[in-house]
Amino acid sequence: MNSIEEILWNYIDGNCTSEEQKIIHTLIAEDEAYRLKYQELLNLDQQFSAIELDEPSMAFTYNVMEIIRTENAQVPLKAAINKKIIMGIAIFFGVTLIAMLIFAFASLNWSTAGSSVNLTYNFKMPAIDPGKTKMVVEGFVFFDVVLALYLLDAYLRKKTIARQG
Amino acid sequence: MQSKLSDTELIEQTLAGNQAAYADLVKRHQRFVFTLALRFTKVREDAEEIAQDCFIKAYRSLASFHGQSKFTTWLYSIVYTTAMTSLRKKRVATDSIDDENTLIQLESRASGYDVNNVENKSRSFYLSKAIDQLLPDDAAIITMFYKGEQSLEEIAQALGMEANTVKVKLFRARQRLKEKLERNLKHEAKELI
Repeated sequence: MNSIEEILWNYIDGNCTSEEQKIIHTLIAEDEAYRLKYQELLNLDQQFSAIELDEPSMAFTYNVMEIIRTENAQVPLKAAINKKIIMGIAIFFGVTLIAMLIFAFASLNWSTAGSSVNLTYNFKMPAIDPGKTKMVVEGFVFFDVVLALYLLDAYLRKKTIARQG
Repeated sequence: MQSKLSDTELIEQTLAGNQAAYADLVKRHQRFVFTLALRFTKVREDAEEIAQDCFIKAYRSLASFHGQSKFTTWLYSIVYTTAMTSLRKKRVATDSIDDENTLIQLESRASGYDVNNVENKSRSFYLSKAIDQLLPDDAAIITMFYKGEQSLEEIAQALGMEANTVKVKLFRARQRLKEKLERNLKHEAKELI
């Protein structure tokens, strides 16, 4: 069973149900012991609420930020490189290499006449359609320009945020 | 001047690479974090070291804070863990704070402020002195409840306890604080007589 103090602290903290609140409210109004204890605890509650927080040294924030800056500066280049970019480049070269190999093997003349081995290639570069090539080059340049603008925008935004901070 | 942005906004900016936003977060919460650390260590230099350590730890794992709880609740759980680890490392017997010797030390430490005039001492001075004499857990719970704007559930989350356990602990801490406060005031009154 809860003591009077426990009941009243619950009431002061607002940890009671509405029914309990009504009962305690009536008790405080009618019972002298409850009323006196309630006043005492309320007074204590107000005092405890007035506890003052301690102040750290003036350089506290500076010290914290300095440690963080030093730590960030010490991050090795290996960790700072985005692994996704490396993977992207590797995939690009891998796919290009495989495509070239497939094309080269597809162009090879595998038929051999008699015992003499003929290793001569019948390799021809694919015919280039000037009209199509122009379109591809234009598309490539357009993509590059868009990518450059996007990266520039991201860089400027980052710089602005850092300056505002 | 402190930022008017919310904790969540400052965290987002920090994660986007703006370190100044984190400096604002530190400025905003440094007093409470330092006070909480002081409740455990009882020594300002140690408390400052722990508080700094907490902010650095919080910065490192900021990306793992997903906002399921208040930032302060998350931060106070770091303070609690760091302070407890530090206490264990330094082999400070946390319960020895109630020993008579320690009490005398604390009283003499506090009496540096004493000019033998009880009227000059504010109520808050006696309150701080009484809190100093509490067990670290009691002092931390009282501070978190009254100054940290934390509910019982949030305190329980920060301390890794059940909400009911925190409720009981808070009740006992208040009783002990009341006793210490009364004892200190009686002691001062006797000194005057």
